[in-house]
Amino acid sequence: MHEVTVALSLLEGIQTAASDKGVTRVCSVQIRVGALSGIVRDALLFSWDVVTAQTICEGSRLQIEEVPLVVFCERCERERKPRPGTGLLCPDCGTVSPKIVQGREMQLISMEVAA
Amino acid sequence: MNTRVVEIEESLMSKNDAIASELRARFAESGTLVVNLLSSPGSGKTTLLEESLPRLSQRYRVGALVGDQATENDAERLRRSGAPVHQITTDAECRLDAAMITSALSAWQEEPLDLLFIENVGNLICPAEYDLGEDLRVVLFSVTEGEDKPLKYPLAFNTSQLVLVTKIDIAEAVGYDRAAALNSVRQVNPDAQTLEVSARRGSGMDAWIDLLEQRVREKQVALAT
Repeated sequence: MHEVTVALSLLEGIQTAASDKGVTRVCSVQIRVGALSGIVRDALLFSWDVVTAQTICEGSRLQIEEVPLVVFCERCERERKPRPGTGLLCPDCGTVSPKIVQGREMQLISMEVAA
Repeated sequence: MNTRVVEIEESLMSKNDAIASELRARFAESGTLVVNLLSSPGSGKTTLLEESLPRLSQRYRVGALVGDQATENDAERLRRSGAPVHQITTDAECRLDAAMITSALSAWQEEPLDLLFIENVGNLICPAEYDLGEDLRVVLFSVTEGEDKPLKYPLAFNTSQLVLVTKIDIAEAVGYDRAAALNSVRQVNPDAQTLEVSARRGSGMDAWIDLLEQRVREKQVALAT
C-alpha cells in the first residue's frame, strides 16, 4: 500500500515538473530512497508501472538510488552505519546515536525526457 | 530517440511539510494542543481515546480526528464520549497526511479546541514520514507485540516524544520483558518519555492524563504571552 502511495506522489511531482518544462514524454525517472523510508524496491517498481499507465510516464523506467542509514556517533565523533536491526546503535562502540544523518530520503532527483 | 535530462531535486515530502507548517501556525493561533497517535493495528489507540476523552472533557474542549482505511467504527466508538469526533476514511492511503487534516477541519464546525487528538491509520511505517502539524507525537505498542518493535520501526519511535506501552495489565500473562522493551526504545530514542498504561484497567492513566493537561496549559500560556 505504501508503495502505491509513494508512486502516486512521484507521478504527481513528475507531472508538475513536466508541465512546467513543456515535457510530453518521460523516458526514465531517477529517485533517491533512504533505508528508513520502509520502501520495498520491487513493490515500488511494480506500483510505478501500474500508476503510470496512460500518463506521460507510461513505460518509463524508475531508477532507484538506495541511501543507507547513517547516524552521527557522539562518542566516535563521526558518521557511522548501524547494522540492520540494531536501531540507531553505533556499530563500533554501541553508543545510541539518534542523530540521523541520512536514510530518511524520498526525493525526486531528475527525469530523462524526449528532447 | 533523443533525450535530455531535467533536474528536479525535490523531496516528496515538501508539499506535505508546507501544509503541516500552515496547520501548526493555525493551531498556535487557536491555542490547540495537537497529539498525533501512531501504532500498529490493534495496539489500543481507540481504547486509549475512549478512556481519555471523557476524562479530559471535564476540564477542556477536546476532539478527535480518526483515520482508517475503511469504516466509521472507531469514530462511532469515540462519539459515545460526547466529544466531537470526525472520521477520515483514507481508502487506499496507508496514513493520514496534512492535507487530509486541513480538509477534515474545514468540514468541522467545532469551536476552537484545547486539545485535538489525531488517531492515525494503524501502521508504523508510512505515518512516521508525515508531519501533521502536531505538538506531540505519541507512539503506542502493546505488551503482546514484541519488545523489539522499536528496532523494527525505528523512524516511528525516533520521531515520537512519548512512547506508551499499552495493555500493561496483561504483561505478566504474556511474558512482557520490561527491561528489554525499554532498552529497545532507548536504542532508537534515548530522549523519549515512556509510560506504561492499561486503558481498560486504568493503571498509568493518571500519568497520561496529567501529562496531556500539563501540555494543554503550556500551550495556552504560550498563546497568552
